[in-house]
Amino acid sequence: MAGFLLRRLAASLLLLVLVVSLLFFLVRHVPGDPTNFGESSRLTATQRHHLHELYGLDRPLSAQYLDWVSSVLLHFDWGTSLSQQRPVSAALLDALPATTLLAVAGLAVEYTLALLLGIAAARRPGSGLDHAIRIGGLLFYSLPIFWLSLMAVLLFAYVWPVLPSSHMVSVDYDTLGPTGRFLDVARHLLLPALVMGLGVGGGTARYVRSRMIEVLSQDYIRTARAKGLSERRVLWVHALRNAAVPIVQVFAVTLPLTLSGALLIEVVFSWPGLGLLTFNAILTRDYPVILGSTTFSATLVILGNLAADLLHAWLDPTVRLQAQ
Amino acid sequence: MNRRLAVALAAAMVLAAGCRREPAAGESAPGAAHHGGTVVTGWPNEPGGVNQLIIPASQPTSEMLFRIFLHLVEEQPDFDKHPPTFTPQLARSYDWSDDHKTLTFHLRDDVLWSDGVPVTADDVRWTWQAQVSPEVVWEEAEAKKSITDVEAVDPHTVRFHFSRVYAKQLLDANEGVILPKHAWEKLPFSQWRKSGDWFKQHLVVDGPFTIGSWQPQQQVVLQRNELYYEKGLPRLDRVVMRMIPSQAIGVAQMLNGELDFLPQLAVGDVKRVQASPQIQLIAYWFNIYVAVGWNNDNPLFQDPEVRRALTLGIDRKTIVETLLGPYGRVADSPVLSMVWAHDSSIKPLPYDRDEARRILAAKGWKDTDGDGVLDKGGKPFTFELITNSGNQLRADAAVMIQDQLKKIGVQAVPRQVEFNTLASQTVDGKFAAAIIGFTMDTSLDMTGNFHSKSVGEGANYTRYRKPEMDRLLETAESQPDVKAELPYLKQIQQLVHRDQPVTFLWESQRLTAVNKRVKDVRPTLAFSFFNLKEWWVEPKP
Repeated sequence: MAGFLLRRLAASLLLLVLVVSLLFFLVRHVPGDPTNFGESSRLTATQRHHLHELYGLDRPLSAQYLDWVSSVLLHFDWGTSLSQQRPVSAALLDALPATTLLAVAGLAVEYTLALLLGIAAARRPGSGLDHAIRIGGLLFYSLPIFWLSLMAVLLFAYVWPVLPSSHMVSVDYDTLGPTGRFLDVARHLLLPALVMGLGVGGGTARYVRSRMIEVLSQDYIRTARAKGLSERRVLWVHALRNAAVPIVQVFAVTLPLTLSGALLIEVVFSWPGLGLLTFNAILTRDYPVILGSTTFSATLVILGNLAADLLHAWLDPTVRLQAQ
Repeated sequence: MNRRLAVALAAAMVLAAGCRREPAAGESAPGAAHHGGTVVTGWPNEPGGVNQLIIPASQPTSEMLFRIFLHLVEEQPDFDKHPPTFTPQLARSYDWSDDHKTLTFHLRDDVLWSDGVPVTADDVRWTWQAQVSPEVVWEEAEAKKSITDVEAVDPHTVRFHFSRVYAKQLLDANEGVILPKHAWEKLPFSQWRKSGDWFKQHLVVDGPFTIGSWQPQQQVVLQRNELYYEKGLPRLDRVVMRMIPSQAIGVAQMLNGELDFLPQLAVGDVKRVQASPQIQLIAYWFNIYVAVGWNNDNPLFQDPEVRRALTLGIDRKTIVETLLGPYGRVADSPVLSMVWAHDSSIKPLPYDRDEARRILAAKGWKDTDGDGVLDKGGKPFTFELITNSGNQLRADAAVMIQDQLKKIGVQAVPRQVEFNTLASQTVDGKFAAAIIGFTMDTSLDMTGNFHSKSVGEGANYTRYRKPEMDRLLETAESQPDVKAELPYLKQIQQLVHRDQPVTFLWESQRLTAVNKRVKDVRPTLAFSFFNLKEWWVEPKP
């Protein structure tokens, strides 16, 4: 198992280096410049040149790349945000809690929905309920997430104004007590988390359904039923546990989708997370922030895949054997 | 009444209204103002930080900074009949030396930083040192290039020494807010551009407001500065600057009462906003004109006569009436029509397709292959017309221009480009034609836009070069005061009109929505928050 782990770790690390390096050069080839401030900017070419010197942007790209990599690896220094004039790490750390909260809440909605609907559909394949869940799932999965977000805003913030349409906190947040602050954030979280969970959950539900149908037709399920176990126990313990392996893998595969979905959701809902930070960094060509946040996401995706592999190996001994 | 006549009448009414003093939202009787309360305002992006010298200038940034820090004197929005006047702020008064090369400001002695330390001449001198520091690279440092020294004569007297006499000496001396030396001098200039957070943590202010809290990407809460020197001001306790994700959401939040103030509405939203009994719409002429910038280096647009033909081929009146209705008018000069130095003898070129075709034919442009597009030497008259994405007004204008130019045999291909890319293309001259918004500086110095030395260096994106223009700009700039510039400013406008380096499209009104519970709101062409310290809200019943 240790050898398997090491090999997978090494492969993941290599992948990360490749992705990040590619990103570094790609981002720098996008037209635009971090010193393009705005339509009324009076920055002269000489000043622009000074700024490039100050930020080290006038040096050859390869030298900048080596500098960046070494300062990240040796000092864990991610550089300075060109648009915010503060360490990139500070900007990322500021945004991380909001994204984590949204992602966890979104995933909770996604998996609760996926399991409930997937299992309900799998119990009676071909029934009206099954069709409804399959078609509904496909519909939500296919809808662009920004459109879904806008419709949610329209519906729940304007037509039926029960939830806030944007932001993570209300105007009076500063003046609230701890319980008030918690409730305030929870109220703001509901709509974006629902959109995120619904958008991805539709697809996951379809996956859970097909895995469950497959597992439910296995002999051991028939045995479990023959032994007189309750249907609930058969479904939620015996069947779900066996269906879980590929579902865990789906989690890893859909992680990038979740993250990219979070970006759009954060932009539409003004949610102060990494997505909104990255979006604004792209508009202003704030290279260090773009690199910092995308490296973070890439690491998360690669780690997610690694974790899925390891979990899979742990849950399914044949994988370990094959690896050996 | 036909539609065109109705629009014309509406426009005339607005023009008539524009001649009066800008209206205030819910103007109050003297003494009626109430103290306390919160106003929530919506902005498209977040202020960049608290240190003006290291952050890109943007509307929300200046709005916030100019309410937490003071200038020496404050420029007034009264430039319809004469150059803008200045009222005392940090400085009680100022006077000039006989040779007009030394400007002395006499500072108030009752202005304190929010930590109780007095604001003195040392702050003014140190601010200037920071402004011109090559390590700080302040965006507006050009304004200080003719100032040789700033001398702190005594704690309340500060003297600006100039290397020469020119029109905007006072404006240049006054450019930039005065920063707190005692609080910020601990950080060497070389560290400034990476220390945005440090300045926030060590913030002391002398303006009417200070920063109560700052939630990144969410909101900035401005809070009353208890030590502000004008007694009884500001009237509000808090002003929240909330970042709104989109114009549509901003309008919706305005309508449902989440926002009290939205500085900029699209014309398309006016009806919805006007239908609300709680909201007042304030419309006022704004300091931006929108124009098609022709790249004068492009062989297609090198000839002023051809550029003139293109202007004649664009029906600007219809574009403005269709897209802006009564809230816009056809622009004809880089000096906007509400400004004292505007040359009203200039009349916009009419829409005249026949004349346009005639000029182009005289210049050798004929449709030899019968494809509907003029050509010369085997090359068709076709080019890309770029505009920044996310600005529907300009995108619509681009399509209308395409359609109109087609009728004179010119093929414009509209393309929307993301703003930062467009900025690089225009700065580097890698474009054919672009719809750009130009901000008119109230100093009326147009060197940046039209002087040949500003090609590639400043904002002369169209790469217009003309020795006559350079001479006029230099002569205007070197007059002893702004008023004396008038004859040259008029000649500059006439030359721009003759040469058409750009085709002016429109001047427009800024449409601001204010909840009627907020009183005494008087936005100016440069600042929505101009008199923020005087705003007040009715107490809740």
